[in-house]
Amino acid sequence: MLKIEHLSKKYGEKKAVDDLNLHITPGEIYGFIGHNGAGKTTTLKSVAGILQFDTGEIYIDGKSIRTQPLECKRSFAYIPDNPDLYDYMTGIRYLNFIADIFDVSAEERQTRIRKYGDLFELTGDLAQPIAAYSHGMKQKLAIISAWLHQPKLILMDEPFVGLDPKASHLLKGMMREVCDAGGAIFFSTHVLEVAEKLCDKVAIIKGGKLIRSGTMEAVKGDDSLEDVFLELEGESC
Amino acid sequence: MLKLLLKKQFLEIFQVYFYDAKKNRARSKASTAMFFLLFILLVFGLLGGIFTFLSANLCAPLLAVGMDWLYFALMGLIAVLLGAFGSVFNTYAGLYLPKDNDLLLSMPIPVSALVTARLSGVYLMGLLYSAVVILPAVIVYWITAGITLSAVLGGLLITFFISVFVLTISCVLGWIVAKISRKLKHKSLITVLISLAVIGVYYFVYFKAQSMIGDLLENATVYGAQIKGSAYPVYLFGSVGVGDVRATVIVCAVVAALFLLMWLLLSRSFLQIATSAGKSVRREYREARGRQRGIDAALLGREFSRFTASPTYMLNCGLGTFLMPLCAIAVLWKGRELFSMLDAMFAETAVSVPLLLCVVLCGLASMNLMTAPSVSLEGKSLWLLQSLPVEAWRIFRAKIRIQLLLTGLPLFLCIVCTAAVYPLPPVQLLLLLLFAGSYALLTALFGLFLGVRMPILTWTNEIVPIKQGGAVMITLLGGFGYTILLLLGFILLPGWTLGFCGYIGCFAGANLLLSVLICLWLRKKGVARFSAL
Repeated sequence: MLKIEHLSKKYGEKKAVDDLNLHITPGEIYGFIGHNGAGKTTTLKSVAGILQFDTGEIYIDGKSIRTQPLECKRSFAYIPDNPDLYDYMTGIRYLNFIADIFDVSAEERQTRIRKYGDLFELTGDLAQPIAAYSHGMKQKLAIISAWLHQPKLILMDEPFVGLDPKASHLLKGMMREVCDAGGAIFFSTHVLEVAEKLCDKVAIIKGGKLIRSGTMEAVKGDDSLEDVFLELEGESC
Repeated sequence: MLKLLLKKQFLEIFQVYFYDAKKNRARSKASTAMFFLLFILLVFGLLGGIFTFLSANLCAPLLAVGMDWLYFALMGLIAVLLGAFGSVFNTYAGLYLPKDNDLLLSMPIPVSALVTARLSGVYLMGLLYSAVVILPAVIVYWITAGITLSAVLGGLLITFFISVFVLTISCVLGWIVAKISRKLKHKSLITVLISLAVIGVYYFVYFKAQSMIGDLLENATVYGAQIKGSAYPVYLFGSVGVGDVRATVIVCAVVAALFLLMWLLLSRSFLQIATSAGKSVRREYREARGRQRGIDAALLGREFSRFTASPTYMLNCGLGTFLMPLCAIAVLWKGRELFSMLDAMFAETAVSVPLLLCVVLCGLASMNLMTAPSVSLEGKSLWLLQSLPVEAWRIFRAKIRIQLLLTGLPLFLCIVCTAAVYPLPPVQLLLLLLFAGSYALLTALFGLFLGVRMPILTWTNEIVPIKQGGAVMITLLGGFGYTILLLLGFILLPGWTLGFCGYIGCFAGANLLLSVLICLWLRKKGVARFSAL
């Protein structure tokens, strides 16, 4: 579903991502953890086609994001860490805009907007301008818009930040549903407990380099993910 | 604390002069100095030039009849009007709407320090607008009346008093706008309508100014006596410029008292206005089956939403759209008399009515520059467009289309109304249409070209990309420069030897050629730049 090969990206002299390799197969929830500035967002943005990387390749469903960006973008949804949406639109207008871009039929969008809007208790606010939304509401709207076109791959940068406990719980369930249906999720998080419970696989990144990856069991063994993470952080210092 | 806030405020205002968004680094000192020099030349050279001309016309005749104070009163009032008119909406946005208001208010910063820092930006804007009027007036006075100590002090003091008075008026008006706008349902539309009404009054006065000035100069002593009798404060205000000590003391006291009152009003209400969400009218969501649109329609709809959501954007980059239908109505109403008068006026010259029409249409179309700030306005939500499966060229096309629609349709309306009252030969009419269409296309493409080359994505207030961005400024001045070239080229170059059809045909051809070149750049390099932003 997602193959990252020898990905490198520099900001000036600083290497943000250094020769990163990852492979995410359908049905997997893949967690991406690391300290602040480790290179998680740069990786996710590169995969989403927002950031141009220096070397390496990224394949989504077998297509290169570099040479076939549109085909790739049709098959995934991206939710950034800070959902700066179009403040000048209402919630429903924004969802319709996304649905138009992804060619979601009128019937399907109506059904899905109702379903996810009700789930996140946002339906009543859909006629309000996004400018009036709280951070959590914007995050919920971004999640609904991502699920609206039923992408095969969902990329999320810190998706649980700003969400209330109920919405977090819902999101975890929705992530599992996507994977059960043959999709894949690649997300970054600082909440190690969530990663430990939710993810099938996990990758730990530090200073742009992948320091460990694999199934949750293989990465953490009998320890907690937090212990392993802190140990790895200490080791590579 | 205040020093820090002031530094931040000025850095924000002049961000584009210090920071190169394209290279994501600070500009060199030479580059910054060049930008400032260019800005000063444009503002004081162009606007200042107009008011120097007006001052030169008024000064000598009024001085000759001993009405020095009336000269300063007149120029001072124009400066106050321009200053207050030019900065009222900036004041509202600059004081109450900056995105970092919440952040700064959460810090241990006294509200008074924050208000002072915000006011410094407003003051600077008001000073800029008023100085382009009053400084040339003062200098012309010094040259005409001779440089004396009282004249120099008077000139400097009246400039200062005017700037403070403009600040006071702007803040009060900004406060009123803030109060009203928080209770309105359709803020954007009403703000635009009020602004248009103000602009209407401004232009009415502007067009009447010539005859009013003529009348004033002929009867200066009579009017002077009347003003002195019934509007004594105006007399005192004008006397400051002459160096009258008594008038200076009184005006200084009044200006200071008004400023203090404004300060009290502002410092007491600032926190409440800046932090309140206003009276939001909660709209109920009613589920309805949405209409499925194609990608191009969705992108165009997005551009329309962006444009209509912001009065600042509409007024600064879409004024032509509102003025052109008004001109079309005016043409239907008074066009016949106007065109026969113009025909008679230019019967002996090379200038023809169709050419003047082109110049006017060109000037009106030049007021529309939606594409120029459109890339910058994506701001922090740029990630959305970049992550969606949409080619950058399609995004560009939507940006160009909105300008073409909002410029082309009103232009067409103007031409149809003109043709209805002033029938043109078919070839001339066709060329007029071709020229207007090609110019609308060129300005849309040129604005976008600059928008892609000079984006400002890190703004905290949309005024920055809309009013202070290099792309907007160059597009606007480029449009007016083109309009002047169109007229002068016909008279001086001399384009008249080609005849109207040949001359306008050349311009239309050049427009199309330039459009093709810019289009090619946008499709190749523009999309790459946009994707890499």
